[in-house]
Amino acid sequence: MNDAIGYAEHKFQKDQENISRCAMIDDLDKMVIQLIQGDLPLVMRPFASLAKRLGISEEDFLGRIRALKKRGIIRRFGATLRHQEAGFSANAMVAWKVKEDKIETVGRAMAKFRGVTHCYQRQTQKDWEYNLYTMIHGEDEEECYRIAEKISKKVGIKEYVLLFSEREFKKTSMQYFKK
Amino acid sequence: MDDIDRAIINEIQSDFPIESRPYRELGKRLNLPEREVFRRVKALKDEGIIRRIGGNFSSKKLNYASTLCAAQVPKEKIEKFVREVNKYPGVTHNYLRNHEYNVWFTFIAPDMEYIDTALEGISRSTGVTEILNLPAVRTFKIKVDFEV
Repeated sequence: MNDAIGYAEHKFQKDQENISRCAMIDDLDKMVIQLIQGDLPLVMRPFASLAKRLGISEEDFLGRIRALKKRGIIRRFGATLRHQEAGFSANAMVAWKVKEDKIETVGRAMAKFRGVTHCYQRQTQKDWEYNLYTMIHGEDEEECYRIAEKISKKVGIKEYVLLFSEREFKKTSMQYFKK
Repeated sequence: MDDIDRAIINEIQSDFPIESRPYRELGKRLNLPEREVFRRVKALKDEGIIRRIGGNFSSKKLNYASTLCAAQVPKEKIEKFVREVNKYPGVTHNYLRNHEYNVWFTFIAPDMEYIDTALEGISRSTGVTEILNLPAVRTFKIKVDFEV
């Protein structure tokens, strides 16, 4: 019974994914994306300057970006700061072990915390049963521990681990459609 | 960085105007002349506070696969392992973390097969066998801008 429901839900999710994947991105969209995934030229009319490279009008170029944004393909268009966490000096990834049937409620509850910037459910693996992940930000490591404890008490999940970044090996933006 | 700079940053993190003259539009929102907004944005970039201005995409909607990986890497192998992993342009973030799974990286690629193959290759060339592949099955929150 549960398996049947599980399968139906799984199929529904897959169908939803396929629907969103059918949203067509044509070659011009791909060229626009290649130009705006870098850094906008620092000129008064940056879009006109990029449009010129593609040989299309500024209006068409802007129209493409607006459409990509409306369709959620562009999640955000704007400035990325070098220290995204300006004002926060510590961040921790917290991995939680949550019972499958509680994950929806717990995930939603965790997402509501102000100090939580990302919250994902992830696949588990053999010998790795953590299935919910949050990024939390605080002024120092101690504050991160305090926030995690607060969340833990609020949502009733006791098994968790804080993973602090000790060194950054790479941090860059994805370049799509690069051959 | 003064209050005007902060106001500009807060405005352009998530909502840079998709307009012919974006700095004029920002000026309207913030009650500043176009030239002044432009000059300040330029200064913030020159100072390195703003890393880039551009689009950030939903990899899923672009039909790309993405995942988070974690590996158990012995200390003496970390340098080589990181070099091998970072060779892939789809590895966008990579950190050393305080756990027996000590190297954590994100990986975006045209499909999961590509990622699986890459992980096998990395495993072979570095001798690191414990690599977790933890794709997201559900997103509850992605906060994209930070008040400064």
